[in-house]
Amino acid sequence: MIKVSNLSKRIGDVQALNDLSFEALDGQITGLLGPNGAGKTTCLRTVFGLLKPDNGHAEIDGIDVAQNPVAAKQQLGLFPDPFGLYERLTPREYISYFAELNGLSRKDAKNAAASVLGKLHMNDIADRKCKGFSQGQRMKTALAQAIVHEPTNIILDEPTRGLDVMSTRVLRDLLKDLKDAGHCVLFSSHVMQEVAALCDQVIVMAEGKVVAVGSPEQLCQQTGKTSLEDAFIELIGTDEGIAA
Amino acid sequence: MISTIITMVRKELTDAARDKRSVMAGLYYAIGAPLMMCGMFMLLIGQITSPEALNITISHSERAPDLVKFLASNEISQGDDADRKQIELIISEDYASNMANSLPAEITLIADNSNEKLQSSIRRLEKSLQVYSAEMGSLRLIARGIDPKVVQPLKVVVEDQATSDSKGGMILGVAIFMMVYAVFISGMNLAIDTSAGERERNSLALLLSHPVSTRDIVLAKIAAVTIFAMVGLILTLVISKIAYGFVPWQELGFSVNITPDFIALMLVIGLPISLMAAALQLFVSFMAKSFKEAQSYLTIVLIVPMMLSMAASYNIAPDTLQWLPISGQMQALIAFIKGQEIPMLQLALSSTTTVAIAIVLAFGMERSLKSEKIVFGL
Amino acid sequence: MLHGKVNHMGNNPSNKISLKQLGALMIPAAAGLLLFSQPTWANTDNTSTAESCYVEGLSDRLRCGSVSVPENYNLPDSKQIQVHYVILPAIKPSFPSEALLAIAGGPGQSAIENAPGFDKIFSKVRQHRDILLIDQRGTGQSNLLECTGEGFEGALSINDSDVDIGAESQACLDGIDADVTQYGSNTALKDFEAVREHIGYQKLHLYGISYGSRMAQLYMRQYPQALSTVTIDGVVPMQQSVLHIGDAISRALDLLLQDCQNNTLCQQQFPQLATDFAQVNDRLSQGPAISQTRDPLTSEPTQLTMTQAKFMGAVRMALYMPNVRALIPHAINQAAQDNFQPIMGLYALTINSTGIAAGMHAAVVCGEDWQRFSSEERQQAEQGYFGREMLKVFDQSCPIWNIPAVDSDFSAPIDSAIPTLVLSGELDPATPPSWGEMAMEKLSNAKHFVAPYATHGVAYQSCGNDLIAQLVSQGKVDELSDECLNKDVRRNFYLNASTVEAIPQKTDDSVPASAQGADHD
Repeated sequence: MIKVSNLSKRIGDVQALNDLSFEALDGQITGLLGPNGAGKTTCLRTVFGLLKPDNGHAEIDGIDVAQNPVAAKQQLGLFPDPFGLYERLTPREYISYFAELNGLSRKDAKNAAASVLGKLHMNDIADRKCKGFSQGQRMKTALAQAIVHEPTNIILDEPTRGLDVMSTRVLRDLLKDLKDAGHCVLFSSHVMQEVAALCDQVIVMAEGKVVAVGSPEQLCQQTGKTSLEDAFIELIGTDEGIAA
Repeated sequence: MISTIITMVRKELTDAARDKRSVMAGLYYAIGAPLMMCGMFMLLIGQITSPEALNITISHSERAPDLVKFLASNEISQGDDADRKQIELIISEDYASNMANSLPAEITLIADNSNEKLQSSIRRLEKSLQVYSAEMGSLRLIARGIDPKVVQPLKVVVEDQATSDSKGGMILGVAIFMMVYAVFISGMNLAIDTSAGERERNSLALLLSHPVSTRDIVLAKIAAVTIFAMVGLILTLVISKIAYGFVPWQELGFSVNITPDFIALMLVIGLPISLMAAALQLFVSFMAKSFKEAQSYLTIVLIVPMMLSMAASYNIAPDTLQWLPISGQMQALIAFIKGQEIPMLQLALSSTTTVAIAIVLAFGMERSLKSEKIVFGL
Repeated sequence: MLHGKVNHMGNNPSNKISLKQLGALMIPAAAGLLLFSQPTWANTDNTSTAESCYVEGLSDRLRCGSVSVPENYNLPDSKQIQVHYVILPAIKPSFPSEALLAIAGGPGQSAIENAPGFDKIFSKVRQHRDILLIDQRGTGQSNLLECTGEGFEGALSINDSDVDIGAESQACLDGIDADVTQYGSNTALKDFEAVREHIGYQKLHLYGISYGSRMAQLYMRQYPQALSTVTIDGVVPMQQSVLHIGDAISRALDLLLQDCQNNTLCQQQFPQLATDFAQVNDRLSQGPAISQTRDPLTSEPTQLTMTQAKFMGAVRMALYMPNVRALIPHAINQAAQDNFQPIMGLYALTINSTGIAAGMHAAVVCGEDWQRFSSEERQQAEQGYFGREMLKVFDQSCPIWNIPAVDSDFSAPIDSAIPTLVLSGELDPATPPSWGEMAMEKLSNAKHFVAPYATHGVAYQSCGNDLIAQLVSQGKVDELSDECLNKDVRRNFYLNASTVEAIPQKTDDSVPASAQGADHD
């Protein structure tokens, strides 16, 4: 479970987060939807402790990120944007490295990496260096890294950006699997389709604030619109920065 | 946590070892520098010890046949047109008559003294002419019944306390300088790659989002860069040890010996320097916005330790320098090869300072990795 | 007979003619009384372990030491003497168990005092091997057997034919506290071997110059197992008494006169040189030419008593060094015109600067050369001035020194297969090439090279030193070639007191003004 309470963060002249609060529950896929510049990435970085909020706090499974970052982060997996691969390492090395950083022993890390590689059907590329990977292969590697240590919470930052159709489908299936396994999945996106198709709960953000929370159906109802897209535009008052 | 650090160091080294740029930068220098230096000295020694025939233009050589014969016996002659140096010796018209009358006989030496290629030839010619002149002077005195000793009022007895090893100190000074430089060069690319490069490739944020403390990250990166620097140093030492043995230093009248003792001392002294070099390079690279920027910053920053180290090898700076980091260690190393007593106090102090600087820089980095500006380049 | 090694300026001149260099000239036999050697030795310690020390003329830190040996090996418990040695340490000791032992001439010169010269010629050898210099017993610092005599001032005014050689010898002997019969070559050789063992060298490369060549040959005879290679330079063959030197001097003098004759400039300037020489010689044989002059060093007024011995001695000594040799025709020519200044200048070089220990010199020559000189040889030697004068001196002094003769097998040729390089200078006024040839008789692994333009001590004045370095490093003579010795390094003779170049015909009495001005620059 990821809980964000009253987060405020000013970056330069911009109030990136403005008293932001929400919860992402285990066994659910929560979408963080907002136009570009709404504060999605800032919010996620704050959850990871990479940014310090001016106000408020973030909790992972009840652990305050600011106070106990290492313990909190052990319950987190991050699928970052961009991926941040080490191009000279193979996926196997890359994945087991991060597994070790998350407290697994070397041996356990190797086993965990092997199992994730199998789960994601990556065995054919597992021992090639990441350099030269296709976008889909990169995505899989990054995703494997995020889940190798089986964190309860998985955060994905714009996970489908730049992915082809096939990769997007694979990702979707995976996220559903994770949800079914009881994980808390939180992802940010500005792509309406994706959110509509995947999310149990949508948090609509604009200018650093939560504008609305609810399932896609609830949001439609709330705004009286038939499509989530219309509802979204209604909610944030503009269609700028949104992709259908 | 130690195991986390070890994991990270292992990953950094694996990563770096596969990075041709990092490895080559270190290897090229560690292997190339001593080899190049030895090659240069071999050429130089060859030139000094077996001076080639010096071909110059001698105008009116018929006016001073004995002088010409003397020069020829010293391998200085008119020679072929093709390889004649731009040096001309003109024998004046009244040479023989002035000589016969014990008046100074004029010869004119025309050459460009600012031309480095000619300088040693010019000096050689001048020296030969002085020898000729001095010999004639002495014989003229004898012919007049005067002992040539009367024109040598002073007899300077020189007792040189150098040994053939310590005479090589000047060369080893340069060698030490290159070894210290190896510490900085070998780790530099890795330092940039693992900091500015890591951020540029967006893996820094990913790393920081994992349950690892920034201190561990800093320590691991310093350790990795230090290991690289030390490997570079060891390589340089090994290559030097082998290569220097092939240079016929003895032909210059001294020996250059890279003894196991020296290697051990160099490694002990080199470790704190490596630590500081690693910390400094990482710190600077983290400050830079990109790989390229880090490279240009480092090039500038590295001038400082290089200056300190040069100052020590060439003795161009005040004594206070020997208390400063790097130059203090350099001076201890130079003292060691010259067979003097190692200034332990200076060495301890400068090594401590070196480590202290490394620690301060490490703290600075730990803080900076918590800073959003550094991590995201905001 | 004194042979010594001379520091030639040769084709590798040092900056100045220093007296130190000229000082190593050996003195003529006739002046054998003027034994004023005053070694400046003072720099090594009197201890037996090798310590760091300095030797005059070398700035390098050297290792010095000494070995205690019995003066008389038949009485090992009697008086002990210290034999001192100096090691010029190898720059890069690639062969720590080897050294080159350089043996000085004379007999009576100190090897250690000649260290600067040895260091120079053996710089290549020293790159990898130690150079070992031993002051042979009776020389230098090893129980020096010297005679004190008059100082420099007396040398100009004294009439040496008035000197009572017997009395001088007796005085010298009386002043020596040593058993002078124990200072012969074979005894000294035992010291050398003791020093080698003391330092711990397994193999020696030998270099013996002049009289030192006799020590080297004895070493080959007595301790061949200790030797790797041998170079003998300016060779005194075992088969021959050194008293034959008179012929060698005359030969060298004739060569000089001939050289001048063959040189257009010299011939034109001194067409009557041989006549001039004979005339001066003849005149001085009647009695000395006495004139007032100024002391060469102090410029004090003094009387110059130019005797035949001084004249001949000065000319003889000048023959040792190629560059000084160039002055002889002018000096003879001037003497024929009653100007003895140039001769005095040459003579002054020989005074006080030989570094020969007269007692040791006599101990060697009287025991090893004088007594074996047969009456036949004697008759022949007395034909020439130098042989005659030399015999006169030793005939008077040797009975006083009373040194027992060496065994007759002393004179046997050296029979050896040790790689040996024999060097002779064509112009040598002491040991001509024929002597080197004689030494070759039973050397089965040797090469004899004659340097056509060298005088005494080929290693000092041509590429001889390179050949030695090559021999030492290769350990065999097969690849040695005398090609480099043939390089023509001849120079002009002095045509007057100032020039070696052709003197222009005077068309005008005045000297160019510019030249006068330059005089003061």
